[in-house]
Amino acid sequence: MSLLDDVRQVRRGWHWGEVKPRSWPERAPAVPDRSSNLGWARSEPVRSARWLLQKGVSLPFTRVMANPDVRGAEWMESLERPAIIAANHSSHADLQLLLYALPDRARERTVVAAAADYWYQRPWLGRLVSLWLNTFPFSRTGGPQAVLHHSSQLLKSGWHLLIFPEGSRSPDGRLQEFKPGVGFLARETGAPVVPIHVRGGQRIMPKGRAYPLPAPAQVRIGRPLQAKEKESARAFAGRVESSVRELAAGSSGPEVVGSWIERWRAAELRSGATARGRS
Amino acid sequence: MSRPGAVLEVDRNSPPTLFHFGEGVRLERLPLGSRILYPPDPLEPIAHPERAIRRALAHPLDDDPLKELLRPGMKLTIAFDDLSLPLPPMAQPDVRQLVMEEVVELAAEAGVEDIHLIVATGLHRRMTEDEIRHIVGDRIFTTFWPDCLYNHDAEDDDENVRIGTTPDGHEVTLNRRAAESDLVVYVNLTLVPMDGGHKSMATGLATYRGIRAHHNVDTLLGSRSYMHPPDSQLHHSCIQQGRLIEDHVRVFHIETSVNNHAFPTVANFMQKRETDWTPADQATYLALKRLSDLAPRDLKRTVFHSMKAPYGLTGVNAGQVDQVHDRTLEAVRKQMTVEVDGQTDIVTMGLPYLGPYNVNSILNPVLVVCLGLGYLFNLYRGTPVVREGGVVIMTHPCRYEFDSVHHPSYIDFYDEVLADTTDPAQIERKYERRFAEDDWYRQLFRKSHAYHGVHPFYAWYWAAHALAHAGDVIVVGGEREVVHRLGFKAATTLADAFEMAEQTVGRYPSVSHLRTPPLLLADVR
Repeated sequence: MSLLDDVRQVRRGWHWGEVKPRSWPERAPAVPDRSSNLGWARSEPVRSARWLLQKGVSLPFTRVMANPDVRGAEWMESLERPAIIAANHSSHADLQLLLYALPDRARERTVVAAAADYWYQRPWLGRLVSLWLNTFPFSRTGGPQAVLHHSSQLLKSGWHLLIFPEGSRSPDGRLQEFKPGVGFLARETGAPVVPIHVRGGQRIMPKGRAYPLPAPAQVRIGRPLQAKEKESARAFAGRVESSVRELAAGSSGPEVVGSWIERWRAAELRSGATARGRS
Repeated sequence: MSRPGAVLEVDRNSPPTLFHFGEGVRLERLPLGSRILYPPDPLEPIAHPERAIRRALAHPLDDDPLKELLRPGMKLTIAFDDLSLPLPPMAQPDVRQLVMEEVVELAAEAGVEDIHLIVATGLHRRMTEDEIRHIVGDRIFTTFWPDCLYNHDAEDDDENVRIGTTPDGHEVTLNRRAAESDLVVYVNLTLVPMDGGHKSMATGLATYRGIRAHHNVDTLLGSRSYMHPPDSQLHHSCIQQGRLIEDHVRVFHIETSVNNHAFPTVANFMQKRETDWTPADQATYLALKRLSDLAPRDLKRTVFHSMKAPYGLTGVNAGQVDQVHDRTLEAVRKQMTVEVDGQTDIVTMGLPYLGPYNVNSILNPVLVVCLGLGYLFNLYRGTPVVREGGVVIMTHPCRYEFDSVHHPSYIDFYDEVLADTTDPAQIERKYERRFAEDDWYRQLFRKSHAYHGVHPFYAWYWAAHALAHAGDVIVVGGEREVVHRLGFKAATTLADAFEMAEQTVGRYPSVSHLRTPPLLLADVR
């Protein structure tokens, strides 16, 4: 069967514009409605297309524009399970620099939280960034529950989650206060947080400029942090912030040994939720 | 509220009907008056699976809460279903992961130091590291792999024990670690009514000597159908074995059921009835049809096997196996049942790319028979959809194509055994023991990722009931030589197949089409 035959079969198969026969059942969605999470962006063949786009276009372009100096990538390689990657944010160029800095395996498994009210106002733009950068809409204004639920699902599904805890780009390149969301998320999921500091993004593409200019950049990846037993979300967010500040200043830990219970606790992905649910 | 299953009659205005065709799809016109059996729409999943799981563990059926069964110094074994369930594999997180994380968390709180997790593969192939990780999740995998998380080995004489003999004289064997544990927690996922219950332990952690008690032609001929356990000798035998196991070792059974949301967004049209298709669904169909017509086989296979199903949890129950299984079956039937009035002369079915034994692999000709005549034919309660002496028409490319890593004994079964006879009883008598005890197959089963040497026999036996019941079997679109080797007739088009079928069932036959997957259970009255 040629393509034309197939199209003709489909075209004639359904009687558009005609009254539906009584024998047809009531139309209904076959599957329950769910809010869009752009799951397609994390499935094949989109992943392969993104890999090609990044390897063929974005990463070489980033290298030419910034020749980033990356330190601490071994921390990403040492991760045995999905983590939250928390970085400072001063420019649209930051994300490209961060993706450049991540090891290949981690990059392919990283999903980026992008401001829903900025990137997803226009559907075509949302789809484009989701395709190119593997973003998903992250509400800066909505209820924390929905955001947390979706983000924790991604972490449980094996994706690293890259977020900018400052909430928006710094106007002058200085580090702003971290919002407690990163703490809530880490507490909720028990995932480790990898602090990263990016320097130079602001010179490449400062807030307000629509195109990039070449400038050197540095990316410092720090030791993964784990929320402590009784540490509040806000306090933990503060600790992550301090860690990023230390990386900005120029600084970096031990493997878990012992019984399976110690390894289990160290790999505590959902401890927060579990403890709360049981109490 | 999701719609229940339906039987729609083909009329002049009906759109064409979707037929799966291996790693491809087709639209076909069924004769006017034909019936199409549609499964119910997916049930609404449980909103908070973790909470439901914790509740099930804390309030089990006819058993103590799991927390009270755990104590320091005990030997705990968690066994779970392998990758043959569900189909297609579930998108992460798998419900087994969620259940096991809760169980392990309770064990950690109780200070249980000796804990093993075993994939209950039975005579299926060993799962790879990545496949296990996909089911159990990163946290469990990094904590336990490889020393305390591993595949069951049914051919390791040292690691399996004989438990005893059932009242019917059947031998019962069990994985040694499970047999010597203070508590075995079995984590199951039930997709169709055949799964779960006593069958989980009695096959998943057993050896060939135990499994052959019910995986034989006699038992399967007496299972009408094995998708309805009360009428299934297979299940009666498993129940006897399971009870004996429970006399020997303390078992805490956890069963989960999922809805039939079997296809991701990209293939949503396969989930829908044709009358619900939107222009976007039609465009997706066209794109997939062209891809499957033009793309090389390997590429098609990669694309199809990369699909993960967004199943939603519809039920989780824990406790004593009989009570738990009754509840699970209730949930599964609710999701699958379609009421059907009477049998028909011809039943048609489009066979998809995937059956229980070819996850990440090839659906070879023997597995085509197993899927069509073994599984889909048996998706009934009461009597089969097709009358005795009726015709079964299946669409599948049915190529001479095998995965030599996963299915080495299938190749010899096809080349040697089927060349001699296709009669299940004769095959069992003449060949089974030789394949089952072959050293080379045993080696591949234990050290590589091959199905057990006897497995192609079981795949063939599954079809024994359909082979005895149907007057004729026609494969549309299959390679002629292969279809003839299987003992069936080959047709080029569906219209030709109907023409051929008339020679068996007469002019103007009644026709029913099983529009599956998603799977359905025909309650024929």
